[in-house]
Amino acid sequence: MTCAEAEQLLDSFVDAELPGSMLLEVARHAGSCPACDRAVREVTTLRESVERVVRREVEGVDLSGVWPAVERRIGRSGTRGVWRHVPRQLPVWGAVAALAAGALLWLRTPQPETVRVTHARPNQAVIERLVSSEGARVGIMKDRKYGTTLIMVSAPGEDTAQ
Amino acid sequence: MKHRAARVVLIGLSAATVVLLAMAPVAHALSVQVTTVQASLEGPSDAQLLPFRPRLRRLVGYRAFRVIRVESRPCIWRTQEAFVIPGGRLLHVLPKGMREQAVVMQVQLLEGLRSLVDTDVRLQNRGVMLFGVDPERGPADGVLIIMLKAEE
Repeated sequence: MTCAEAEQLLDSFVDAELPGSMLLEVARHAGSCPACDRAVREVTTLRESVERVVRREVEGVDLSGVWPAVERRIGRSGTRGVWRHVPRQLPVWGAVAALAAGALLWLRTPQPETVRVTHARPNQAVIERLVSSEGARVGIMKDRKYGTTLIMVSAPGEDTAQ
Repeated sequence: MKHRAARVVLIGLSAATVVLLAMAPVAHALSVQVTTVQASLEGPSDAQLLPFRPRLRRLVGYRAFRVIRVESRPCIWRTQEAFVIPGGRLLHVLPKGMREQAVVMQVQLLEGLRSLVDTDVRLQNRGVMLFGVDPERGPADGVLIIMLKAEE
């Protein structure tokens, strides 16, 4: 088994979703490859940490407010039918005016800046500026393999440390 | 009678011209796709997310991913578009231009009237970037992931 093959199976391996023979193959490869072994340990640690936090949260969940909230929402959703009575057909000249407005918009639409050719990873994102609301916790993470960027936001007053 | 026919043809041609002119900005616009995904500890994952699952897994730590909303639409340069995110949130996207094969845009995530995060990003053309929102009652609810894709 190669490192690339092991990488594809890593998540399923940690979740024990692979058939026995494949589990064994990945385990054997990780046993002889320090990089894959480290990757397995990283994902396992992350999984355990999330599970620990979730377990703690579940123990402290208070469900007493669920039904009152559901009832409130049901009451609110009953008022949404008003929009059904809006007439379906608009006057023809109104449509023409809208199209004319579209044409005007097109005439005023700015074109994008000039493209310069360089090579980059497909999902690379560069954060040039970032402002968060007061008290909000913001974390930026990047996937090493694909370059995918994640901006994680925890709203103020929440306790969601992982 | 001839005058009437000519007038009808003229109106028809004018309307067709206006329609073509109105369609033109769509062809020049940036295509933006916003996919909202619910990540949770257990359960099945949607097939369309399988290619993303390893990196989502590495980034957020959860193992099951379900699509709860997909919205794709053309955005006009330097014009703000609002995408609805479940849970009373909005994602404002303001594409500013292209630089080095990347889409430069301002992205703002709002919860009600409050701006949770406001950022200027340079995302590779056809690339995907993610926003994660921690749940209101803690990680037992899973995490909301917003996948933002931009394509010129």
